[in-house]
Amino acid sequence: MSELASEPVSTALLAQRQADLVAALVAGAPDPPGFDPRLLAAAREALLRKRAGEVARAWPVLAAALGSRWPAEFMAWAAGRPPAGARTDGRDFARTLARAGTLPRLAARELSPWWRLVSRLRG
Amino acid sequence: MAAEPEAAAAEAVVAADSLGIGIGWRPEIAGVVAELPSVRFVEVIAESLAPAGPLPTGLHLLREREVAIVPHGVRLSLGGAEPVDPARVAHLAGCARLVGAPLVSEHIAFVRAGGLEAGHLLPLPRTREAVAAVAANVHRAQSELDVPIALEPIAALFDWPDDELDEAAFLTEILDRTGALLLLDVANVYANARNRGTDPLALLDALPLDRVAYVHVAGGAEHDGLYHDTHTEAVPPDVLDLIRELCARHQPPALMLERDGRYPPAAELRAELDAIADASGYPRVT
Repeated sequence: MSELASEPVSTALLAQRQADLVAALVAGAPDPPGFDPRLLAAAREALLRKRAGEVARAWPVLAAALGSRWPAEFMAWAAGRPPAGARTDGRDFARTLARAGTLPRLAARELSPWWRLVSRLRG
Repeated sequence: MAAEPEAAAAEAVVAADSLGIGIGWRPEIAGVVAELPSVRFVEVIAESLAPAGPLPTGLHLLREREVAIVPHGVRLSLGGAEPVDPARVAHLAGCARLVGAPLVSEHIAFVRAGGLEAGHLLPLPRTREAVAAVAANVHRAQSELDVPIALEPIAALFDWPDDELDEAAFLTEILDRTGALLLLDVANVYANARNRGTDPLALLDALPLDRVAYVHVAGGAEHDGLYHDTHTEAVPPDVLDLIRELCARHQPPALMLERDGRYPPAAELRAELDAIADASGYPRVT
């Protein structure tokens, strides 16, 4: 169609650059050169906020019991920590709070699979 | 006087190959969607379905009403430099068969790299290397799909430092290389233009609008000087204006509202659908 037409192009360099970018956004790696640091910071924050929303859906009592501490405390915990899925993220975050003695009692209940079973049976 | 309502009615008839106004089906708003008397298409997040079934009850009822259901993938990572995961492609193809889909859609974006999940759609550099990566993955997907695929350009909060192509050339090249259709999100067009300080109409003028399969419409919010396409706010008037501009150039076969949280009362959702219908010239479905 155009001057780009299908000569084979290696994507090895792109793979490395994509990996560097994701590591900078979710794993605390340095910003890759050339990107606007202000915009990467905004993207990092948006990713954390979206992740907090997903964790709140998976662990509604945890998010509600933290009240005004949510979502800032979760976002601070999750910054630089790669996403592991909402269930795992929420559980690991709650365990961190439990070890520090700052996990609200209601949220502690939500962590027990048997408590979840009791809630389900009550329907 | 008597002719006017007739003319309006004739104008509002949906052409046989058009589906008019639809909505992104989500469990939280299943009740509202079920009560839309004349909706003819919905989209569903593919990753929320199990290809072996059963369909969520609300979707099953829509299917019985012969409402077209379009699975919309969000985690294939077609823009990843690594080959797309065959299991994710098989899942999308399975969802399409499960719902009897006429079409599936995904994004021109990547969501993981180097073993890390980003958790959201990330932009690609607009380079020939990225065109090659997307085209290779779209071809891999197409070989497993029984129906066409439409590709959606995303809203990006940042750009790569080394773009070789402008957005229209980048997208057109991908569509030409793959034969894919375009899923045009006017809220993404709006967000990108606002954040980059570019003209959204210039992009509409440069895109191959005859390849648009359908259109996404959504609301967002501004934080710290950037517009975020959150899908959790009402559709702003500027986005409705873009629908008018788009339809003045080329009326797409279908447009739909995307809402992904902070769900408003049913009346507000219906009003948003009506506003999209009125801006596009399609009949209301409420």
